[in-house]
Amino acid sequence: MPEFNLIYTALMIGGVIAFVMGTVAYLILAERKVAAWVQDRLGPNRVGPWGLLQPIADGGKMFLKEDVIPSHVDKVFFILAPIVAFSTALLSIAVVPIGPSTPPPAPQATVAEYEAAQAAYQETFTFAIQPGLDIGILYIFAIGSLAVYGVILAGWSANNKYSLIGSMRSSAQIISYEIPLGMAIVGVLLFAGSLNLETITDWQSQHGWFILFQPLAFLLFITSVYAETNRLPFDLPEAEQELVGGYHTEYSNSMKLGLMLLAEYAHMITTSFLMSILFFGGWSLFGLENIAGETGIGALLLRFGILGAKVFGFVFLFLLVRWTIPRFRFDQLIGLAWKVMIPLAILHLLAALLVRHFELPYFALTALSVLLFFIAGAASVRTSSAQKTRRKQARSATREHATVGA
Amino acid sequence: MTTPPPVLTPAGLEPAFDLATYYPMLIFAAVILSMACGIVAATHIPFLKPRNPTKTKQMPYESGMDPIGSARMQFDVKFYLIAILFLVFDVELLFLYPWAVSAYNTTGGWQSRYGDLVFLEILAFMVTLTLAYLYAWRKGVFQWR
Repeated sequence: MPEFNLIYTALMIGGVIAFVMGTVAYLILAERKVAAWVQDRLGPNRVGPWGLLQPIADGGKMFLKEDVIPSHVDKVFFILAPIVAFSTALLSIAVVPIGPSTPPPAPQATVAEYEAAQAAYQETFTFAIQPGLDIGILYIFAIGSLAVYGVILAGWSANNKYSLIGSMRSSAQIISYEIPLGMAIVGVLLFAGSLNLETITDWQSQHGWFILFQPLAFLLFITSVYAETNRLPFDLPEAEQELVGGYHTEYSNSMKLGLMLLAEYAHMITTSFLMSILFFGGWSLFGLENIAGETGIGALLLRFGILGAKVFGFVFLFLLVRWTIPRFRFDQLIGLAWKVMIPLAILHLLAALLVRHFELPYFALTALSVLLFFIAGAASVRTSSAQKTRRKQARSATREHATVGA
Repeated sequence: MTTPPPVLTPAGLEPAFDLATYYPMLIFAAVILSMACGIVAATHIPFLKPRNPTKTKQMPYESGMDPIGSARMQFDVKFYLIAILFLVFDVELLFLYPWAVSAYNTTGGWQSRYGDLVFLEILAFMVTLTLAYLYAWRKGVFQWR
């Protein structure tokens, strides 16, 4: 990775924005198509062949429709909210390597070694807007937490009951799930020893993917990600049947609403990248990425293809899960975060710590992960059945009472 | 092409801080912000779209009913409890991050002397975390109803 180069940066920024925007536009079409297939319908098929021009028609409509700003809103925050939501969603992709990457060199003992390592590093290339940033994941989480502000501003400024309830729910949900999200990662950091996404990818190409060693961490991570992106089964902030549109009820169908929706889908893309890089080894595929050689255009395309396949697999999973799992109730949602996922994350972190400290084989952690998962499952089944019997007893007691009274 | 000047840290020789490393991020932030502002500004172009506000159009949407009272109502204290707990746990999480990154890094060579001490300390930290968590549970913070 050479030092700062304006042309390279400009190309990278343009490429990433075009990629994210294009993917988001066609993701909306894909979502509608998948929904149609699941429900045995046809889906959009009027605009262009197979509905392929639908995103363009939608975008044009959003720019040309009347933009209604109701008289009762706080205008400044009402206009600020889409800006905040959109920019926080897109900013976090800056440190994500969207293609083959090389980790920055480790600290060296002598000056000669240092200069050799730096010179070798400058020859390499990393497909990220900001490569070699040491605080990689921390930066993504920091920007991701700012996304709450877009939701809160939108819900509060709209001065509408649906919006307010939606935004309160959404903020409670997002901050609750941020803790298991962050804790699931600590196990990965313990092994990779860096927050840098390129270094984590490199560790996995040497030792094996983290999904093999820490399946429980991945499960916690993917569940939290679904909650953070407000996707079903956690889409309570915009539960259509209860809250109309949630926090964006008052946004008329103009580009302000469009920015909000864009932000949601951009989050999906970023988190899909994160899942493939943190747990599925990024562009590595058990050595198969070297089939076309270590360098050269063939190797480059192959590595892009591997990472892209993983990312689109996760995106497709997002779309399928939406039509598979019904929505949670709000108390269940908070209970899942605080009573199930946080204790599991703490226990998993403890297991990772023990394995790392006593230098046990990595697969010991896999066994511990699976064990923890089944213990948690058994415990939750026991508590829920105990609750059910208690409720049944209470009901029969009241019924007896009623008959005695009669 | 020059190598950045080295600086000696406990881990070894590392590149010195250089603001130029962070230029791409700053440029990206500027591009994204101007893009967002530009798109929002484009929704206010007058000749591109009709604009005829009416009184009903400007009312708060309440499923077709006339709005009842103000939307700025009181909220359940549970939301605030969750927010406070989040603050506690998030700060504890931020303590865990630097530890997780540096604890088992092989560079530096301090693990042989202090590794066990750090291990015990982080265990104590996690025990206090768990105690705080159990306290909150017994106080019924997680019981939503």
